[in-house]
Amino acid sequence: MAADGKAGALEVTNLSTHIELSRSTVQAVGNVDLAIEPGKTLGLVGESGCGKSMLGLSILGLLPAGGKIIDGSVKLDGRELVGLPDPELQKLRGNEVSMIFQDSQSSLNPTKKIGEQVAEPVRLHRGASRKEARDRALEVLELVGLPRPKERLDQYPHHLSGGLRQRVMIAVALACEPKVLLADEPTTALDVTIQAQILALLDDLEDRLGMATLLVTHDMGVVAGRAHRISVMYAGRIVETASTQDVFGAMRHPYTQALLGSIPRLDQDNTKALISIRGLPPDLADPPAGCRFAPRCAFATDKCRAEEPPLTGRDPEHLFACWHPVDGPAEAPKVFVQGTSPAAAAARTDGHLLEIVDAVREYPVTAGAVLQRKVNSVKAVSGVSLHVDAGEALGLVGESGCGKTTLGKLIVGVEKPDAGRIALAGREVFRMRGRGLRRARRDLQMMFQDPYASLDPRMRVQTILREPLVIQNMGSRKEQDAKIRQLLDEVGLPENALERYPHEFSGGQRQRIALARALMLEPKVIVADEPVSALDVSIRSQVLNLMKRLQA
Amino acid sequence: MTEDLENRVKPLGATGLQVALSDPELMPEGGDVQAIASGWRLAVREFANNKVAVLGVGILVFFVLFCFLGPLFYHTNQSLTQPLNANLQPGQTSPINGQTYPLGTDEHGFDELGRIMLGGQTALEVGFFAALISIVIGTLYGAVSGLSGRLIDGVMMRFVDIVYSIPFLFIVLVLATKFSATVLEISLLFGFFSWLVPARLMRGEVLTLRERDFVSAARVMGSGRSRLVYRHLIPNALSVVIVNVTFLVADSILALAYLGFLGFGLQYPTASWGDMLGNADNYISNGQWWLVYPVGFCLVAVVMACNLVGDGLRDALDVRLRRR
Amino acid sequence: MLGYIIRRILVAIVITIGIAAITFELLHLISGSPVHEVLGRGARPAQIAAWNKQHGYDRPFIAQLLTYLGHLVVLNFGYSYKQGQSVAQLFKEYAGRSLYLSGSALVLSLLIAIPLGIAQAVKRNTIGDYAMTTLTFVLYAMPPFFLGIILIDAFALHLHIFPPLVPSSQTSTGAALTHPRDYALPILTLTAVNIASFSRYMRSSALDNLSQDYIRLARAKGLSRRAMLYRHLLRNACLPMITLVGLSIPDLLAGNLLVEVLFNIQGLGLLFFNALQNGDYPILLAYTVLGGILTVLGNLMADIALTVADPRVRI
Repeated sequence: MAADGKAGALEVTNLSTHIELSRSTVQAVGNVDLAIEPGKTLGLVGESGCGKSMLGLSILGLLPAGGKIIDGSVKLDGRELVGLPDPELQKLRGNEVSMIFQDSQSSLNPTKKIGEQVAEPVRLHRGASRKEARDRALEVLELVGLPRPKERLDQYPHHLSGGLRQRVMIAVALACEPKVLLADEPTTALDVTIQAQILALLDDLEDRLGMATLLVTHDMGVVAGRAHRISVMYAGRIVETASTQDVFGAMRHPYTQALLGSIPRLDQDNTKALISIRGLPPDLADPPAGCRFAPRCAFATDKCRAEEPPLTGRDPEHLFACWHPVDGPAEAPKVFVQGTSPAAAAARTDGHLLEIVDAVREYPVTAGAVLQRKVNSVKAVSGVSLHVDAGEALGLVGESGCGKTTLGKLIVGVEKPDAGRIALAGREVFRMRGRGLRRARRDLQMMFQDPYASLDPRMRVQTILREPLVIQNMGSRKEQDAKIRQLLDEVGLPENALERYPHEFSGGQRQRIALARALMLEPKVIVADEPVSALDVSIRSQVLNLMKRLQA
Repeated sequence: MTEDLENRVKPLGATGLQVALSDPELMPEGGDVQAIASGWRLAVREFANNKVAVLGVGILVFFVLFCFLGPLFYHTNQSLTQPLNANLQPGQTSPINGQTYPLGTDEHGFDELGRIMLGGQTALEVGFFAALISIVIGTLYGAVSGLSGRLIDGVMMRFVDIVYSIPFLFIVLVLATKFSATVLEISLLFGFFSWLVPARLMRGEVLTLRERDFVSAARVMGSGRSRLVYRHLIPNALSVVIVNVTFLVADSILALAYLGFLGFGLQYPTASWGDMLGNADNYISNGQWWLVYPVGFCLVAVVMACNLVGDGLRDALDVRLRRR
Repeated sequence: MLGYIIRRILVAIVITIGIAAITFELLHLISGSPVHEVLGRGARPAQIAAWNKQHGYDRPFIAQLLTYLGHLVVLNFGYSYKQGQSVAQLFKEYAGRSLYLSGSALVLSLLIAIPLGIAQAVKRNTIGDYAMTTLTFVLYAMPPFFLGIILIDAFALHLHIFPPLVPSSQTSTGAALTHPRDYALPILTLTAVNIASFSRYMRSSALDNLSQDYIRLARAKGLSRRAMLYRHLLRNACLPMITLVGLSIPDLLAGNLLVEVLFNIQGLGLLFFNALQNGDYPILLAYTVLGGILTVLGNLMADIALTVADPRVRI
């Protein structure tokens, strides 16, 4: 529903896409309306599995095996794309409408030179000669701000860093000056500083070329400064569409409200919980009747569960799909006690609980044709000092490769420092041996980043949770059972989880299990290495709230 | 309408807004746990859905029964040569005793069908034992190598590289000129040169698993080395090994067939299918197709069945690990 | 990159020495000395001892091994008493036909298996794919000699298109080339067996690549399916085939044993077979070591070819 007057560069009306699997049909996208004007950016926001990527692929007609557009229309500059035979679509792809993918590493052909890959659409669509296409490729690489573009033409993708590769992908997409750009999570795999650069680049190019851009992402921060309008997607449906300002400040749909409320902010009141959404998104092979958000919605009524609300609104610029819309951001409940809890106060001793002084860890770099000599060393951690007190939470922030994971490993003793001192309650734990060391390990536990790799796939949850107690020889079987049940309950998982294997859980649920496991030994210190970065935004807030609550 | 709702909603604990109107059976905060299936059951179900793999299992079961139980019901003379019975076609009446043989007789007058059953026994036995020996040696070697320091690992793998480069068929043939009298001897011979691939596979798995987070987690909890190996590494590496076993059985049966064809396999009366094909070119020239095609068919069927099962296992176990 | 190649060559040399040593050891177990071939079974102990001393077969094992290794370096593969010729000479005589047989089969099977594998991957789960997969499965499980027999029966004995055996009048490679029909069945047999395993790998490699993102991007650029397959998939999916070809190198020269025996082709494989039957251990030893060396060589060549073909591997 574009605003009256201007012709939209891209107009999607009532688009529905199904994916037929061997035993079920996934309703990936349902009744989606959106419109983008030339020179504007529409942000498409949603969590993983909500169908935003499928939407982009539907527009291009590049659905995976089993995927079909079953209804709706996609108009590019007034021209209908749905139903167009593939050879016609081929002429448009890369030419009038282009797409950028998330993972630049695997999206570029590793055995072809960069110049060739950027030149390819030019040769294809404009019938350019080799030389002409190469010149154009050079032009485009300069346009996207790639340093030393002439050299890069003959290099291969693996020679470039992530940020530079992403620029190359953008170059490929822009080579033929498309009218519409679909950017599917273009910055998710990049570090924060590079993200900002790429987003600025996209902005700049949009202005210069007058492109209409669909910016698909799960990160609200990305769309905040860049998009003119935002559509929020949930379970295959658009639940709200409005200007960026309205979405952030005057949202109407409960999901939007909860989504924005679950993002931690610097100026946030520390005693308030993050808003989180109970439960998990629905299985799209078997979606609920009625509003798809109803099972998790705080305001759901019977009407919501029975009938699906249409995307409407009095103001055509602000549409939402809800029977009982909310009014603006929500007020989070005060749940955390001001100051430190009595337990923490009691635990505080003189001096710091965890103290690190000048920790150093280096890895040798070898080179040499025949005999491997040490030529250099990678100084992963160089003289880091910090301390954490009881009841305190210290955040360690840095970009990838800065050494924070290594430091975490040093703290829990997975690696040994080359120099420096790491002391828990005054004692250097990792200079101890044998039983003393094992006893001391009870106090230092870790939560890992990847929820899929930190649990043994062959063990049931019950065994996983029991293991720390077994290793440390703590408690009789009955006592262990009781403790397992208690912690399982505290992390919010049902009792039938005990009999299940890790692969039967979602990412957020696995992190809960990992947290429960870390807490079994009642450690004094927990090192949590990026515990929520692999999770969706609304699930993150669940886990973060949980961690904060259990810390006390 | 909004005001109405706000009055009815109560915050509940630290978990955020809570529905007070909807059904009283609260969803646990972490969300419901979907009952998919236990790990092994999932793998079995996946396997069972793979019709081709199930067919493979069926074929193998059939042949095991056929070869080992068959002779109990179908008695034939396999020891006394009866030259007058020789080379009868299927259905052709014997001049001595007026019998007809469903698959004819060979040049010594032995019932071909009975010979196939016995030949199958040997083939399956060798296949199974050789695979067993390879797996036992290979997994241990590979696990030790993968867990050792870089130097020992390097030396152990270099040894594997060397022996692996010696062409299997040649060395086995050469040694078979001396050591091929019994099923056990041949199985050992095959086993000694087939453990290299499982060793490499095991070592690869161990190396990968060593770096996994769940192993680190166990170390952080204070787990000792042996616990890591027995409770974490080996169970996880097993799936790769299991898949390899089926392929080893197939390879060993084929190798036995090659040896037999060239005349270096087992001898009468423990002859295996391969040995029965030793004179195949002569049989064919004489038009004695019944001495060639049935045996060959059985051989191909069993080897193919093993490969099918192996592929099916690989897919099924992969699904389990890859899920979500 | 040069350093990498040098390292690989050094490793290859070490492995070769190991192969020679181990094979020598194993054959030593079976036959310590060829004295019985030369002097006959009825020789007296004194004669035996004298002959052994004269030819160095009474020295300690290590000494014999080192002498052997030294011989290998100058390409002296030993001497066959049974045939009265040096092994190297025998190899030279028989190598040509083996090369012709295995070489043709290799080329033909590559030409067929590569497009076949890709077609199977692209048309996954269609009738055509199932049919081809079944066929290659059956071929894969079939011993080469059985397939050969079936072909002989069908084409030679019943249809009389090709001769069942290669006439022994064919003593030179030149003759083999001018009479392609004689070699048709053996080449066909080998080709079929090779296709079975090559196309399996090709299909799996193509499938792996098809699910990669760069294929999606190629289509997003506007390439047709065909263009995407030729320009992007083909090259990347063929990379593992380089390794397979490297593994086939030993067959090229050491001959395809079973096929040569079945079709009576005077190649190296048949030489080996005869040596087996005669107990001609010098040939057996030399042959096995040669096979080992060729395997190492094949691996080395495949590795180097991969560093050239795949830019990711360059160090």
